[in-house]
Amino acid sequence: MLKAAYRIAWKDVVGDLRRSSSLSSMLFFAVAVLVVFQAAFEPDRQSAVKLLPGLLWATVLFTSLMGLGRVFQAEEENGAFEGLLLASVPRGAVFLGKWLGNLLLTLLVQAMILPLTMILFNVDAWHVIHLIFGVLVLGILGLTGLGVLLAAMTQAARSRETLLALLLLPLVAPLLIAGVQATAGVMVVDGHPGPWIKLLLIFDTVYLALAPWGFSWLVEE
Amino acid sequence: MNFLARIQRPLGVVALLGLAYGLWLVFNAPIDFQQGNSVRILYVHVPSAKMALFCYLLLTISSIFYLWKKSETADIIAEAAVPVGAAFTAVTLASGSIWGKPMWGTWWAWDARLTSMLVLLILYFGLMALRSSLDEPGKSAKATAILAIIGAVDLPIIHFSVVWWRTLHQPPSFGGASGTPTITGALLPPLLVMALAFICLGAYMVVVKAREVAARRQLEVLDLERMENND
Repeated sequence: MLKAAYRIAWKDVVGDLRRSSSLSSMLFFAVAVLVVFQAAFEPDRQSAVKLLPGLLWATVLFTSLMGLGRVFQAEEENGAFEGLLLASVPRGAVFLGKWLGNLLLTLLVQAMILPLTMILFNVDAWHVIHLIFGVLVLGILGLTGLGVLLAAMTQAARSRETLLALLLLPLVAPLLIAGVQATAGVMVVDGHPGPWIKLLLIFDTVYLALAPWGFSWLVEE
Repeated sequence: MNFLARIQRPLGVVALLGLAYGLWLVFNAPIDFQQGNSVRILYVHVPSAKMALFCYLLLTISSIFYLWKKSETADIIAEAAVPVGAAFTAVTLASGSIWGKPMWGTWWAWDARLTSMLVLLILYFGLMALRSSLDEPGKSAKATAILAIIGAVDLPIIHFSVVWWRTLHQPPSFGGASGTPTITGALLPPLLVMALAFICLGAYMVVVKAREVAARRQLEVLDLERMENND
């Protein structure tokens, strides 16, 4: 089962890197979003520190949405989704593979966005960058778990991308709150990120348990 | 469906009478010494907030039942509960805003309950959008049911996180605004009558909507048959 999941994830990641379709568009989209934020808020050095967690998470959320819209696109275009489901592996493995592939790509993009945000907004938090990235990873685990399920749900829908955003954004409200607060918590010396990290863990656990179950219900005929 | 057709009219009549009696009680209830007349809007606000959540409960139960037993009736109830729930959520938010303007001095505050209610409203809209944008009936029913269950799991987390956020972040800006003040005896009967009337009203709306959904689905089946016969 793990092997099948690993194969699916590998196929997605390699395919994406070769075409470099999602990866580069997500990255440039992130830069565009950061420019928009800069133009909209014009933060000075002090307010940039305060704004950074929110800006970072909003950028993460928007870029993940882009990546999620493409999770099933290759299969959809080639009519290969049925083939994937007919393969003699459990449905959970198919989900796991799709999720892992999306997770890896999203993490790769976020690993580039994080230093980019700090440079563009002149925030000096390099000494805690590993902690901020840790918080991002925790958030992205649950975000992609729920997101891949919703992507599967909306793949056959009309105006798929809009619908995905409409469904995902309210559901990840707790994740966003916890992520922003935890990031702000690790950035200052006397912060309290503890409870927020717990909330992120709760969210991750719930969605990673729920999503494979929902996926296998969704695709059974 | 026959059962629904039979209870539709009695439910409607009871709801109407209940609302009339309830409103009469509301306008004869003593006014609040601080809030004055605007306290009366709470008799609409509180029951509709309860109904907004109650509709989600109904939606969750029928969604689980649909996934479990593949019962078409459960799916029809689930489809009917969504717009009714959305309507009650919108009434709750609107009446809360109207009350909030004179009482808090603002239409909107990012208070824990307001935020969760707003998220609930978006979730209801998402459910409606998802159902209407999937063409295959079986698929849309299944996807909506799964989303409803995910939402049911998510709503407590949303509420919990928002409460936490608001309390860790800053002390409540409006003392007692989000907590219902303890109600004196004289205000209780109208609230009870209004709550019961709203339950009947909600049930009536779900019944009407469910019958409409059932009729529309029958029509689609008939349409398909007719097209096949023409070929």
